[in-house]
Amino acid sequence: MMIQVKNLWHIYEGRKEALRGINFRMENEIVALVGPNGSGKTTLAKHLNGLLKPTKGDVIIDGMNTKEHSVAELSKLVGYVFQNPEHMFFEENIFKEVSFGPRNLGLKEEEIRERVFWALKEVNLNGYENRTPYSLSGGEKQRLAIACVLAMKPKYLILDEPTTGLDERSSKSVREIIKNLHKEGHGILLITHEMDLVLEVAQRVVLLYEGRKVFDGPVDEFFSLELRNYDLNKPELLRISHELNVGFVRTVEEFIWRLTG
Amino acid sequence: MIYNFYVERDSILHTLDPRVKLIGSASIIVLLLLFNSPVVLIPFFFLIMLFVYILGKITFYEQYRVLKPLFPILVITIVVWAFVYDPWYKGTLIGVAYGLRLLTFGLIAFSLLMTTTQRELILGFIKLKMPYEYGLTMTIALRYIPTLYMLALNIMDAQKARGWEMEKGNILVRIRKMSAVLIPLLIASIKTAHELSIALESRAFGARKDRTFLYTIEMKRRDYVALLLTGIILIIALYVRYSLGFGHIKLY
Repeated sequence: MMIQVKNLWHIYEGRKEALRGINFRMENEIVALVGPNGSGKTTLAKHLNGLLKPTKGDVIIDGMNTKEHSVAELSKLVGYVFQNPEHMFFEENIFKEVSFGPRNLGLKEEEIRERVFWALKEVNLNGYENRTPYSLSGGEKQRLAIACVLAMKPKYLILDEPTTGLDERSSKSVREIIKNLHKEGHGILLITHEMDLVLEVAQRVVLLYEGRKVFDGPVDEFFSLELRNYDLNKPELLRISHELNVGFVRTVEEFIWRLTG
Repeated sequence: MIYNFYVERDSILHTLDPRVKLIGSASIIVLLLLFNSPVVLIPFFFLIMLFVYILGKITFYEQYRVLKPLFPILVITIVVWAFVYDPWYKGTLIGVAYGLRLLTFGLIAFSLLMTTTQRELILGFIKLKMPYEYGLTMTIALRYIPTLYMLALNIMDAQKARGWEMEKGNILVRIRKMSAVLIPLLIASIKTAHELSIALESRAFGARKDRTFLYTIEMKRRDYVALLLTGIILIIALYVRYSLGFGHIKLY
């Protein structure tokens, strides 16, 4: 069971090709989807839950072709957390906000309650049920947005720029949530510009450039590419470790450990 | 998404000063209100169509396209007049005339928008002594229509990803469902407006009463000729209507 993208082309009406023949597979892993602005990251991600339908090619989620299923049906399998969390909040309190998704799935009231409490606990927002979504801080809003999608218990989760604009503490807590969800068996697709995030949490990287997939492989191989050619930067840690010839490291601790032997 | 009706052409109407076009449009509306006889109103509609076609190079098909949304009003007007007026065939005729009068209003308004850029139009209003703030308000409103449209699409996508389906349910359920889009849209709009006002003030908006403009408009000889012709037509129309008593019928 996996996400399969087969020779996917997408052309927005009246514009040039946004995606040109993408082939891509994903299972229960953390995949970072990277590339400069306008390279097609969001367009690709929107195909995975059926918000966009292929101009040519197929997207198959656990055997379901997105052409034959509605976004609502696919939302049980693929959760999509949009970049701006405020674009989804409309209920008067957080309990109702999180229950919106499960309610749309037509679940029983008991099951909905259970899922809401579970999802809020997953993102460390338990106890916030009666507050209004707009009273939260930026980082809390991002976590609430994740909970709203999580409550639908999707197998795969797409996170669009989940840490952008967050302070270190909030960003760290979102990173922890991502790692935990992966441990619980979710497949996670991260759309991001933050190479530090890629370095810390991703297991695989898919690089898009001008609508084409130009790289798909492990994180260490990705960072050995000449990233400047794709308008991306290499994390400082990797530059230093490269200069000092200690090889690929993911964290400062690992770096020091290698250095001191 | 149609929010800008302007069509690029090389025509007389396109090159006229926006002030002349505004005054001209207003004059035609006065003419429309002067007469109520089908003998005048029905040919007048087709005359304006021809006028827009020849002087503005707007094809009949393009005119038809912008007027299409108004057709239900035309039909309703005809039907209502046919029912309430005795004899019915005279009522139908009056209905056709009044319906076409409305269509002529529409045609004039759309022709103005199709032959004048938004910037020129607002500049025209301002030069006709409309306060600058109103002009800015209009510009901002027009500028933000596509932005809000994109925002609405984005919000709808976000809610669809949570299993939201607009298409399901009866009309009441659907109205209730729209709140999932309208509330975030409203909040985002208010935030945008607030940020915009801060941006305007930080660029010293309103610091000086009189304003200068980067793009200006100037009346040329052809503009004065057009203005003169408009005046002459208006005077002739008033003469025909009030001295000769032509073009007005007593309905009751």
